Amino acid sequence: MPPDAPRSRRQELAREWMKAVYSTTYVPMSPTEIELFLGEQVDVIADALQATPFTAEPIRHVGERLVAEHFTGPETLQRTVEVLGHALLFSPELRDVDRLAEKVVAILGSLGASFATAMRLDAFDQQEQVKLALFSANSRMERVLKFSEARFREVFTSSAMGIAITELDGTFVEVNQALVDILGGVGDTLPGMALDDLFHAEDVAALRVSYQHVRDGVVDRFREQRRLVRLDGEPSWVHLAVSLLRDADGAAAYYVTMVEDISELHLLQKNLDHQLLHDSLTGLSNRQHFITQLETMHGRSERGITLFHLNLDAFSMINNGLGHEVGDHLLKLVAKRLLAVVAQEDAVVARLGADEFAIVVDNSVDTPKATELIDRINEELAEPAFVDDRGIALSVTIGVVDRPAASWTVAELLRAANTTLHLAKDKGKRQWLPYDPHEDARRKSWFSVAAAMPGALEHGELELEYQPIVGLADRAVIGLAAQLRWGDWGHLQCLELAEETGLSLPIGQWLLRAACGQAADWRDELGERTPPLHVALSPMQSRDEDLVGTVKRTLDDTGLPFGELRIALNTRAAVDSQGDDNAQVLADSGIATGLDEFHGGQEELALLTELPISSLTVAPSVVWRLADLTQDSLLHQAMTGMVAVVHRAGAIVIASGVRTEAEARWWAAIGADAAQGDFFAPPRHPDKIPELLSLL
Amino acid sequence: MAERTSWVPESVDTGLPSAARLYDYLLGGGHNFAADRVLAEKFLVAQPNARTIARLNRAFLRRSVLFMIDQGIRQFLDLGSGIPTVGNVHEIAQKADPDSRVVYVDFEDVAVAHSQMMLEHDAHATIIQEDLTNPTAVLDAARDSKLIDFDQPVGVLTVGVFHFVPPEKKPTDVVATYRDAVVPGSYLALSQFTSDLQPDEMAGIVEVMKKSMNPMFPRTHAEITSLFEGFEVVEPGVVPLPLWRPEVAGDDDPGRAGIFAGVGRKQ
Repeated sequence: MPPDAPRSRRQELAREWMKAVYSTTYVPMSPTEIELFLGEQVDVIADALQATPFTAEPIRHVGERLVAEHFTGPETLQRTVEVLGHALLFSPELRDVDRLAEKVVAILGSLGASFATAMRLDAFDQQEQVKLALFSANSRMERVLKFSEARFREVFTSSAMGIAITELDGTFVEVNQALVDILGGVGDTLPGMALDDLFHAEDVAALRVSYQHVRDGVVDRFREQRRLVRLDGEPSWVHLAVSLLRDADGAAAYYVTMVEDISELHLLQKNLDHQLLHDSLTGLSNRQHFITQLETMHGRSERGITLFHLNLDAFSMINNGLGHEVGDHLLKLVAKRLLAVVAQEDAVVARLGADEFAIVVDNSVDTPKATELIDRINEELAEPAFVDDRGIALSVTIGVVDRPAASWTVAELLRAANTTLHLAKDKGKRQWLPYDPHEDARRKSWFSVAAAMPGALEHGELELEYQPIVGLADRAVIGLAAQLRWGDWGHLQCLELAEETGLSLPIGQWLLRAACGQAADWRDELGERTPPLHVALSPMQSRDEDLVGTVKRTLDDTGLPFGELRIALNTRAAVDSQGDDNAQVLADSGIATGLDEFHGGQEELALLTELPISSLTVAPSVVWRLADLTQDSLLHQAMTGMVAVVHRAGAIVIASGVRTEAEARWWAAIGADAAQGDFFAPPRHPDKIPELLSLL
Repeated sequence: MAERTSWVPESVDTGLPSAARLYDYLLGGGHNFAADRVLAEKFLVAQPNARTIARLNRAFLRRSVLFMIDQGIRQFLDLGSGIPTVGNVHEIAQKADPDSRVVYVDFEDVAVAHSQMMLEHDAHATIIQEDLTNPTAVLDAARDSKLIDFDQPVGVLTVGVFHFVPPEKKPTDVVATYRDAVVPGSYLALSQFTSDLQPDEMAGIVEVMKKSMNPMFPRTHAEITSLFEGFEVVEPGVVPLPLWRPEVAGDDDPGRAGIFAGVGRKQ
C-alpha cells in the first residue's frame, strides 16, 4: 500500500467527516484542527479494518475521544455513522479487506457503543460537577451566612446602640443588652413589651406613620430624634434609625429599630445652647436670645407687650471703686431681683450689656401697669446689698415702650427703648420715661442737625445773642448773658448740640472770645453804663485744665477789664471735678465766678463752702417746677432758707429761663436776686443791645 | 434570646432556572438542572435554531479571543462568563500562549462555584463574583486579583451577555466605564441578541425568558453598534455571528443567527 495515496484518501474522508459534523456541535477547534483530529480517528479505524486478526477493540477509544473533544451533538453520531459507513464500504484502500461489510458493521457498532458509554459517563461527570458546584455554592453561602450571622451577633451583642428586631405588629423578636440598659431594665430581657410601649405617648402616632412608610417602601429607612420612655417612666432622648428586613421573597418581615441614647448628648446640647443664648454671669438671656424671645412674645401677644430697657446707675463707679468681683456680685443680685419682680408674669429678663438689662412682659389681664412694675423694680433694687458689710443701694434708669403696635419690628422696639432710656438718663439717676414718638422724631432730626454743626461753626453760621440779666427788685440790667444762636436753634439747644458733637470746647472758646470782644466794643461805645458780661461755660469747658489761661489770654487780647467778666462754671462739672481749682484761680485773678445750671442738690450746695462763688444761676427746669408751688409749701420755705444760706456765703441767686410774671414773682418772693428770661427780654442781636440798654 | 434569627435565607435555590445553565444545555452540556432543561425546551419552541445560535455564539467567542491573541492581547476580562462549558476563554488563550491570564466575572452562585472548582489549579485564571453592571466593583476586584495589568491592553469580552442588561442599567455607561479603565489598544468583543433578525422568534424568546431570573432585552443593530462608542470596530463590523471572520464558508444562515457580534479596538 503506497503511503501517499491512502493518506490522501483518508484525508478526504476526514474532511468529509468534518463537514458532516461541524454544524452538529460546538468543538473549540478550527476546521483544520478538527480535520486533523478526525484524520487521526480515520487512521485508527482504517488500520483496525486491515489488521489481522481483526478486532474492534481500538474503536472503543475513538468513541471516547470523540466525546472528550465534544463531538457530542444530538446528530453528531448519526452523521458520523453515515459518513464512515459509506466511505469505509467503498474506499479503494479497503477494497481487498476480507468480509469488509461484516467488519465495518462491527466497527460502527463498537463506535456507537463506546460513544454512548462515554456520553453517559460524561453526563454523569458533568452532573457530578454541577452538583458539587451547587454544594460548594451552598456551603460557601452557609459559611458566609454563618460568618455574617456571627458578625451580626457580635454587633448585636456588643453594640452600645440599642437594637430591637420586631414583628411588623411591633412584638419584640429580639432586643439586645444595650437597649435593655438604655431603658433601665434588669437582666437581658424586657418584660412583655411591644415597640409602642417604648415611645413617649406624644411620639407614638407620628412614629407609627414613619414605620408604615418604611413598611410601604416610601422610604428605605428613617432617622428621627425621639423620646423613649424608660421602665421607670422617665423620658430619654434617643436617635432612632429604623429599617425593614425582608424575607427571601422580598416581602416585609421584620423591623430593625436602632436606638442611640443621646440623653447625655441631649443635655450637653441643651447646655451648649444655654451657653450660647445666656449670659454666663447672671444666667439671664443674652442679647441675641432676648431678641428672639422678644420677637416671639411680640408676635403672639394678645394684649401687647411692655418692654423695659434698664441701665444700672453709676455701675462703672462701683466696678472701678469696689472692684469687679463686687460688681459681678451686684449684677447677679440685680438679675435675681429683676426676676423676682416679674416672677408672676409671662416675662423674660435679659442682660444686654455690662450694666444694661431688659425685661419684656406679655401683658395679661392681671399684669400690673408699667408704672407699678417700675415702682417694684425701684423698691427691690433700693434694698441695700451688703458687700463686705457695706450696704450698697442700687438704682436703675429705665426706658419703657408700653404696648407698641403689632406692626413694630423688633429692631424698632429695641431702638425705641434704647432712645427712651437715653432720654431718661439725661434726667439723672433713678429716672424713667415712656417712649414718646414726638420726642423720638425730634431726636431723629436732632441728630441730623448735630451732624451739620461742625460745618456751621466753620462757615461762621453760629452767632451770638445777648440776654439781659435783670434785678428782680428794680428790674435794672445787671448783666448781659452771651448766648448762642444757629438759625432757629437757641442757646440751650446749641449747647446740647455742641455737647453731642464734641464741639463744646471750641464753640465755648469762640463764644468767650467773641463775647469779650463785643463787650469791649460796647464799653468803648457806651462806657460805664455797660453791664458786665456773663458767660456760662459748657461742662467740658468747665473742666478744661487750660481754662484759666484761655480766659486770661482772651481778656488780654480783647482788652476787656477782668472785672467786667463773670464766668459761670457748669455746676455738674464742678461737682464731678472736685479739687480742680479753676474757680479759685479765676477768683484770684479778679474774675467773678458763678455756678450755672444749679439744681439745689446737697453736693451742689456744698460747693458754696469750698469755692469762692459769687453767683448761683438756677437751672430753668428747677425755676419752672418750683414756681408752681404755693407759698406755704415746705419746699417754698426750704428754698427761702437756701437762698438765705447762699446770701450768707456772699453770693447772689439768679433764676434763669423765667417765662412768666408768676415765675418772676415766686422767685422774687423767696429772695432771689436777679432773673433772666424771655419774660424780661428775649436774647437780642448785638446791634439791638445799645438801644435796649438806653431804654431800660 | 440568642436563638438563631429566622430571617436569613438558607441556601441557593436550584428551582429557579438560570440563563447560564440554559446556555450550557443548548451547547450540549450536562451542567444543568431539570428546571433549566424545561426552560430550554420552551426556548427551543420559540427559536428552533437556538442550539445553532448557541454554537455560533460560542464559536464567535473563540474566534474573537484568537483574534485578540493575534493582536498581542494576553490578558482577558470575561464578563458574564457563566457555566464553564466547552471551550472556555482561558483554555483557548492558554493553548495559544500559556502565559495568558483570564479573569472571569459572574454573579450567579453555581456558576461561580463551578468556575472556582475548574480554576483551582490554574494560577493564571480566576473568577470574581460580581455583577458586571457594577463596573467599578468589577474593576476593583480585577485589580485586586493581580492577574490583569491595567497599564497593558486588555481584551474585554461580553459575549452573549448584554441582552441580560436592562436599559435602566444604562448599558452604554457600563461599557464606557470598562472602556475608560483600559488603555488604548485594548479590545472589546461583544455579542447580543437582536430584534432585527427574526423578530417573531425573538419576541418569543423574550416572552419565555420573562419568567426566568434572566429576562432578556434584544437590541437593534444601531443600539448594539452604539455600545462600541470609543472603540474602532474592526472588519467586518457588527454582523450576524457566522459572518464575523468565519474560518470556513459554513452553511449557517446569517438571517437565523439571532445575535449580532463585533470586536472593537480602543482608540
